Amino acid sequence: MAENFEQHSDVSAADLARLTQEAQAEATPSTAKIIWSEFKADKPAMAALFIIVGFILFVMIGALFINTPKMMETNIMGYFNQPFTPEYWLGADSGGRSVAKQLIVGSRNSIGIAIGLTLISSTFGICWGLISGYFNGYIDWGMQRVYDFMMMLPMTMMIIVLVTIIPHYNSVTLTLIFSIFYWEGTSRLIRSRTLAESEKDYVAASRTSGTSHWKIIFREIMPNISSLIIVDCTLSFAENIGVETGLSYLGFGLPSQTPSLGTMIANANDPNNITQYWWTWLPAALEIIILCLSISYVGQVLRRAADASQRQGAAD
Amino acid sequence: MSLVEIKDLKVHYPIRTGFWNRITDSVRAVDGITFNIEAGETYGLVGESGSGKSTTGKSVVGLEKVTSGSIMYKGVDITSKANRNKLDYNQDVQMIFQDSLSSLNPRKRIEDIIAEPLRNFEHLSKDDEKLRVLQLLDIVGLDADALYKYPHQFSGGQRQRIGVARAVATNPKLIIADEPVSALDLSVQAQVLNFMKKIQREFGISYLFISHDLGVVRHMCNNIAIMNRGRLVEIGTREDIYNHPLHIYTKRLLAAIPETNVNQRAAHRASRLAVEKIYQEQQSKYYDDKGEAFPLIQVSPTHSVALPENIAKQLASQEGEVQA
Ligand SMILES: Nc1ncnc2c1ncn2[C@@H]1O[C@H](COP(=O)(O)OP(=O)(O)O)[C@@H](O)[C@H]1O
Ligand SMILES: [Mg+2]
Repeated sequence: MAENFEQHSDVSAADLARLTQEAQAEATPSTAKIIWSEFKADKPAMAALFIIVGFILFVMIGALFINTPKMMETNIMGYFNQPFTPEYWLGADSGGRSVAKQLIVGSRNSIGIAIGLTLISSTFGICWGLISGYFNGYIDWGMQRVYDFMMMLPMTMMIIVLVTIIPHYNSVTLTLIFSIFYWEGTSRLIRSRTLAESEKDYVAASRTSGTSHWKIIFREIMPNISSLIIVDCTLSFAENIGVETGLSYLGFGLPSQTPSLGTMIANANDPNNITQYWWTWLPAALEIIILCLSISYVGQVLRRAADASQRQGAAD
Repeated sequence: MSLVEIKDLKVHYPIRTGFWNRITDSVRAVDGITFNIEAGETYGLVGESGSGKSTTGKSVVGLEKVTSGSIMYKGVDITSKANRNKLDYNQDVQMIFQDSLSSLNPRKRIEDIIAEPLRNFEHLSKDDEKLRVLQLLDIVGLDADALYKYPHQFSGGQRQRIGVARAVATNPKLIIADEPVSALDLSVQAQVLNFMKKIQREFGISYLFISHDLGVVRHMCNNIAIMNRGRLVEIGTREDIYNHPLHIYTKRLLAAIPETNVNQRAAHRASRLAVEKIYQEQQSKYYDDKGEAFPLIQVSPTHSVALPENIAKQLASQEGEVQA
């Protein structure tokens, strides 16, 4: 059979190296390169990216050097210490505990939960949506009924109940509990795009080329909805920082001895703190605002890059 | 024995409604068609849009779940998935799609697109595979620099040739070409068709050539089947169909071929209107009381038409054909 092609084409093995080189010279840049050049062109987005990466690294590493139980001990001498003093950079709260240290450990906990939650729920939601949309039929029908059932459950109430029932929980169990309820939005979004994508002829072509269903789903279709996935993940990440924060603020998140951005903002429950002891809650609130803004900025650039590579394939 | 024998093929799409997803009705996209494709020939399947041509084509490559009937290839019925897998059926039967843009994955480079069937069916070494892709690009008249580009960087005609290269990659016996040039400009159409013909000569491939336009089919096909609402209304050689059409639907399709000679535009328009008038007025003569086509009746060794026997004979003798 190979002879058949030899006969009818002027190209032979001798030309292989030369032609490959010619083709490489004309090659279109890869998606990763396009994303990077998009960042280089957009200075604020670059700054936002550095803020996020730098901050996450800082709190992850910084928290390792802080002895949390010791930090959380009450210290009468530090009662509402003013900020910007050598011992308390950002002051202290009513228990005389350093706000700066709590902020570092608290951010580590909150961001850790948000990253874990985004990873688990998005991965699950994306797979669920892709499979459900691609195997359009009984599989889809069954998977959609499970989805409908999950949507019927009152989410916040279920989380509060679960948190109350489980005797000892920590960041990991809390992340898992949240994950049960946070994949649905992603899965529906991905499913609707997958339904449209599966109709396209390139999927049929892959099937007649002998490619397996799983490869088609994850290697053919998924790259084509990558811009949607990126946008959804960044939005979920920003939202998920809020999830833990919100519940901890209400008193149902992490236990009180575990600092988090939510427990810190909960200091603002006390009217005295809002006006007089602003340093107990303001840093955490500012941090959340800055993080969420930076994340959505980075998300926008990623989407632009993903769309551009889909449309034009090259960065001009 | 023919290369592919399609017998009484039916594809019905169930219409499901309600919470329990019960089947309440069905769309009869293909409703009992029978024809054979010979090795090395180009078989034309022609009909208006919506008549079930693509569904037929997809059934033959194994993309569509068949309701009933059989498609025999090498003595086995390939409507069953197990049989297709056993034969590596798609190594022998490939498809070219109408929309060249949607049929090429926008996220993949040309090399990976053309190599896809090779990777699944032939397991060549890296260098052999690249060489084969370069030869295929050469065969469809594209340069080596296409290798690492993406589909949107090419024009419609070039993309369709990439689709042809992918279909030819495993040296198949049959290629289903579903309106391969309908989306292209006239000048580009001829170019793509010429590549397809050249490949047919060199590799001895058969085509099932699907089109809504009898004008395009004339230059490609030896045998033609006319499809209307899921059924075949007329089968014949090129000569039978173009020179002795019997069914009003065929005449209507012939009349719809655009007239390129400016001087004859008026005459052409008049004859088209006349055919249209007969089509509107004589529905009951050409279709049964449910509006469906009759079973096919043979009027000559090569020519069949879907009409009641007496009308078929009468029309055939008017056309001066040799009786079967
Ligand atoms: N997946 C499907 N579900 C339901 N109906 C379909 C489906 N695919 C095609 N049809 C219907 O079957 C008929 C034939 O379609 P098709 O084979 O695409 O026609 P053609 O290619 O001749 O234009 C059309 O009426 C179309 O609406
Ligand atoms: Mg069609």
